[in-house]
Amino acid sequence: MKKHLTSSVIALASAMSASAAFAEIKVGAIFDLTGGLNIYGIQQDNALDLALDSINADGGLLGEQIEVVSYDSQSELSKYTQYANTSVLRDGISAMFAGLTSSSREAIRPIFRRANIPYFYSSLYEGGACDRQTFVTGSSASQQLQPLIEWAIEEYGPRIYIMAPDYNFGTISAHWINEYAEQNGGEVVGEDFLALTVTDYAPTIQKIQQARPDFVVALPVGANQTGFLEQFAAAGLKDSIGVVSSNYGSGNQQVVVSPEAGEGLIASQGYFMQVDNPANAEFVEMWTAKYGDDTPIVSGAVDVWNAVHVWAAAVEEAGSAKPEAVIAALESGITFEAPNGTVTMEPSSHHLRQNIYIARGDDNHGFEIVETFEDVAPTYENEMCDLVANPDLAEHFTPETN
Amino acid sequence: MELDFLATVLLSSLSSASILLIATIGLAVVFGLMGVINLAHGEFLMIGAYTALTVTQAGVPYILSIPVAVAVTMAIGAIVEILIISRLYGRLFDTMLATWGLSIVFYQLAVLIFGTVTPGIGMPQYNITIGDYNLAGYPLLMIVVAAAMLFFVFALMTKSVYGMKARASIQMPQMAQAIGIESSRVNTLTFAVGCGLAGFAGAVLLPIVPATPSMGFAFVIKAFLTVVVAGPVTLTGSAITALGLGGGASVTASFMTSVVGDVFFFLITALLLWLYPMGISAKWRRKL
Repeated sequence: MKKHLTSSVIALASAMSASAAFAEIKVGAIFDLTGGLNIYGIQQDNALDLALDSINADGGLLGEQIEVVSYDSQSELSKYTQYANTSVLRDGISAMFAGLTSSSREAIRPIFRRANIPYFYSSLYEGGACDRQTFVTGSSASQQLQPLIEWAIEEYGPRIYIMAPDYNFGTISAHWINEYAEQNGGEVVGEDFLALTVTDYAPTIQKIQQARPDFVVALPVGANQTGFLEQFAAAGLKDSIGVVSSNYGSGNQQVVVSPEAGEGLIASQGYFMQVDNPANAEFVEMWTAKYGDDTPIVSGAVDVWNAVHVWAAAVEEAGSAKPEAVIAALESGITFEAPNGTVTMEPSSHHLRQNIYIARGDDNHGFEIVETFEDVAPTYENEMCDLVANPDLAEHFTPETN
Repeated sequence: MELDFLATVLLSSLSSASILLIATIGLAVVFGLMGVINLAHGEFLMIGAYTALTVTQAGVPYILSIPVAVAVTMAIGAIVEILIISRLYGRLFDTMLATWGLSIVFYQLAVLIFGTVTPGIGMPQYNITIGDYNLAGYPLLMIVVAAAMLFFVFALMTKSVYGMKARASIQMPQMAQAIGIESSRVNTLTFAVGCGLAGFAGAVLLPIVPATPSMGFAFVIKAFLTVVVAGPVTLTGSAITALGLGGGASVTASFMTSVVGDVFFFLITALLLWLYPMGISAKWRRKL
């Protein structure tokens, strides 16, 4: 009897481990589904689900279905580290898609580095994140600002005023604006760095008028800072001074800003819903079928969509979802026909080579695309971060800011 | 320094101070007359803004949406007072904790009802020119609004029967009850008035500060500090404090940077609280 019991236990155990061996491929997701950042997090998570649905509907990866373990980080940093550890220690994931703010990325990057699991960060950001496990599908500040500043100096003139949030996204972006201004014969005539809680922009608007710029590079972060655009327009300055931005629209600010203030604002990003190509048409159709068309799709959502598909392409190429093989495949120059045009994962910097679009706000809370810069490389990241030559690099490169 | 720049700095600093005062008065009334610090004040502001926005989107002219916002926030304020605040009188820290919790609930409710992005209504595209400088007209109008609000609250508290009852019930509750004032009902009304003033602020500032679930956070800290620095003579104290701190911060920001403006605000607040731990009006002989 006892022997019988033991053998049945062994049989059961081996059956369980056998089923574990044939388990679905698991990926993890941590996004801000509640709290102040869910303006981005909900769409990022929706994009992840949509991408996995589309892959699973086509028969999955290597004949297996992909399962996702999702966490809501509630716009809190402590939740990120907690769930990142849980997903590594308990869930047995093959890849992680997570994070919006740079602080969240920096909090969890070491965890996936130690666990050697590919980690995809999908948001526009200040640039410079570099280690072997981290893959960035959003555009970096230098990648977006180079075409934007070049375009704006040609369009408006050489005198530039910078209005930026007072933390590393703002100060690093300001560095790039200074650098690209110099390269293109422009001149920064004034800078103002603002706390995220500022609601009254009268002082900034006076300083702008005092400096007499041809255009303002405005990088408002959060709802309060979009008030700047209203106040700028209401002061009657929009007709004489251009406004360009590398993050306007990334959180659907064009929906919040009134048509009078939003018309004519220039934004540059890796994706706008108005991009015209077959992949985007299909993507938008799938998205609206599942989530409706109440809110426009933000670039962060497409960054996640691209991350999932780039990872899936790497799994197909490696013939395995094992992290080490996938990371090697990701460094082989994977390309993907994305909603924002063809994108390529740069083998050395783990950043995405992608189109940068320049769009003009219309009078109906939307955009029209005025210029496309094709296949823009993440130049700064490629220059600083060569993970093929130095796989042990684990850095966050920042340019010398003044 | 050119004269026109100086004039615009002065005018816009006055409007900054007025905006701070508009956002603060409701808090000052509740704190001054009830000894309750309402940390959900910012969320009442947010409710006022969303009410005005919703009503405007339904086709009602913006100016008429303001009284609707006041009515809605007063009603919610009255309910909150009856259900929560009235059970916690005399327990300052408990009311702070309760109203803070309430603010989180209101915030998340707003996210659920309105989502994270809703269209703003924009500012009237009217501006005035002084020399080489343009100033948006609507923020300047706030100077008048703040003065009117101050006058209204002052008259309400000193000239109306309700105002006398409200002050009687807080200064000498037993005596007030003895002569037949139902102090609990008066308190409900006072809290509702405070919330209504917050709702008014949210609605009237809507063109300047777009309605978002988190808009309360931007106001509540500075409003709270203004009331604390003002001290026991809340109304006059708050007006002077808002003018000094808000206006000063704005002037500093104009000549230096916005960060220095904020540093000015918080540094002077700390300095004043060090010099006057009970608020600047602790030794004044006025009552309001």
